[in-house]
Amino acid sequence: MATQTADYTRSLIEASLDPLVTIAPDGKITDVNAATESITGCSRTELIGTDFSNYFTDPEKARNGYQEVFREGQVRDYPLELRHRDGRVASVLYNASVYRDEKGAVVGVFAAARDITGRKQAEDALQRATAYTRSLIEASLDPLVTIAPNGKITDVNAATESITGRSRQELIGTDFCGYFTFPEKAREGYQQVFREGLVRDYPLELRQRDGRVTSVLYNASVYRDEEGEVVGVFAAARDITERKLAEERIRQQSREILELSTPVMQVWEGVVAVPLIGCLDSQRTQQFMERLLDRIVETNSPVALVDIMGVPTIDTQTAQHLIETITAVRLLGAQVVLTGVRPAIAQTLVHLGIDLSGITTRSSMAAGLLVALDLLKLQVVKKSDTR
Amino acid sequence: MANGNISVIKIKDILLVTVPSDPDDMTVSQLQEQVLYAMERHSARGLILDISTVETIDSFFARTVSETVKMVALMGGLTVLTGMRACVAVTTTQLGLSLDKTLTALDVDRAMEMLATALDNTEGRT
Amino acid sequence: MNSHHGGEMVIDNENDIVMARKSVREAAVALGFGVTDVTRIVTAASELTRNIYVYAGSGVMRWHTLNGNATGLELVFEDHGPGIADLSLAMQPGYTTGKGLGMGLPGSKRLMDEMDVHSEIGQGTTIRIRKWLPR
Repeated sequence: MATQTADYTRSLIEASLDPLVTIAPDGKITDVNAATESITGCSRTELIGTDFSNYFTDPEKARNGYQEVFREGQVRDYPLELRHRDGRVASVLYNASVYRDEKGAVVGVFAAARDITGRKQAEDALQRATAYTRSLIEASLDPLVTIAPNGKITDVNAATESITGRSRQELIGTDFCGYFTFPEKAREGYQQVFREGLVRDYPLELRQRDGRVTSVLYNASVYRDEEGEVVGVFAAARDITERKLAEERIRQQSREILELSTPVMQVWEGVVAVPLIGCLDSQRTQQFMERLLDRIVETNSPVALVDIMGVPTIDTQTAQHLIETITAVRLLGAQVVLTGVRPAIAQTLVHLGIDLSGITTRSSMAAGLLVALDLLKLQVVKKSDTR
Repeated sequence: MANGNISVIKIKDILLVTVPSDPDDMTVSQLQEQVLYAMERHSARGLILDISTVETIDSFFARTVSETVKMVALMGGLTVLTGMRACVAVTTTQLGLSLDKTLTALDVDRAMEMLATALDNTEGRT
Repeated sequence: MNSHHGGEMVIDNENDIVMARKSVREAAVALGFGVTDVTRIVTAASELTRNIYVYAGSGVMRWHTLNGNATGLELVFEDHGPGIADLSLAMQPGYTTGKGLGMGLPGSKRLMDEMDVHSEIGQGTTIRIRKWLPR
């Protein structure tokens, strides 16, 4: 009877795919199953009587393991690395407990190993991949940041630390919008991402710890968990300070070119003239107006000849600015004679309903000059021939 | 602010009034009164309002000047506004203030010439 | 320089309008605005300060430097007056109230780079205007 039970138990033990082993209080293996033979690459005769801990990459850890079982009665999911005779290493988790005789005395430890090499490999791969992604994130020169739905920063990279002048510990958990000159604009930005899934080239101004401000463009999108639920926003900032400086340089040069191309010249005492060339946008016209008025005051000229032959087209806004200029000149006590009105411009002005009836106009600057002289009560007289 | 900031000079039948650089509302209102009474007192036919030191013209100032010009006209006089600064001209135009029925001159000399011509013409008619 | 310069003044009598112009002029010049821009800012301030005095009787004008990628000046005009009944109407050029005066809002807007108006009937009005240094 006892033999039958023993046989049954034995078959169970042998059938188990998990390596099973019994360990005596002195740490020696007293019994093994076939799975143990195969995972160690050793036969049962080789295994029995040898130290349990010998078969592991970290014998000390293995020893501590079974000693804990003797002490506590059991151990769960104790991780160890088992070394096969041929050198291969398997990651295992040990579940072990003491077993007793009929009197209740502890005879030894019964240990079952769960081979988690496959799982461990997957975890390691994930770990490596994560480490790889992490290093990509850290290596990025663009400040990267993740934002939770409540607007708090959940993660940053080194570039973010350096652009804000703050450490990751200081940043994580704080409000994303707090680092910008216009926090509401920053808030609207990430809210737009949560709403629409992404945002492109969203301009913001970041304020660093020392007060310096940096212009950035944000590109951001939502990121999701495995179920597809939105977890947060991943945002990358592009520092465009350099670009803005370059743009400013170009603007400065344009201004300089503008001044060169629309010189307000004094052509006679009391007459200034300016040929306008090119397209007149709001800013150009504004600048031109200020310069013309200054010149008029400076030179004390009651007449300003403004030639627009070089202006190819005119839109409503430009026409308004031109009218404003003419009105402002009048307020100074001078007047504008508009010359060089080409057919296309004439058509546009009338179609736009712009009333230039109060303004003296001529087809050419030469004709305009005659008007100017007349206004100044001057006359051109040909020298009489003296022969 | 005191009245003394507005200087009124009589040249023949023309009054030259120099407006202070940043008059408060009361001064601006008083200017109107002073001008009208001075026009009457001196039987002036021309008024030159010199605003060459004025730094700001807002809607209140502009309105008061416009009104003054009309009032002077009703009293048979002609007004010329002189010396508006370039920056003020730009701003006034942008503000959309209508001072555009008012005669203007670059400086007092030209204003005098302008008035002389205009008043002579009027003289000729009567 | 990214420092916060600013100031505040109470508007409750007619003389405060010219004082407001002077303060704003100082602030605008200190910030480095050119002559024409200074004139624009001061003129807008004059209009809006007068509004406070005329329509609300009293209020506050505040100003401060704006720092960002560009530098600018912001002026805030706040009162607890009757409020603007129809803002879109008030913003139309040529609009006049019963007192025979326009409110100078569209003009001020044209002179400045940005303008925000918040007004509630019976509660008051807050107007913010901004001008940026040319870049």
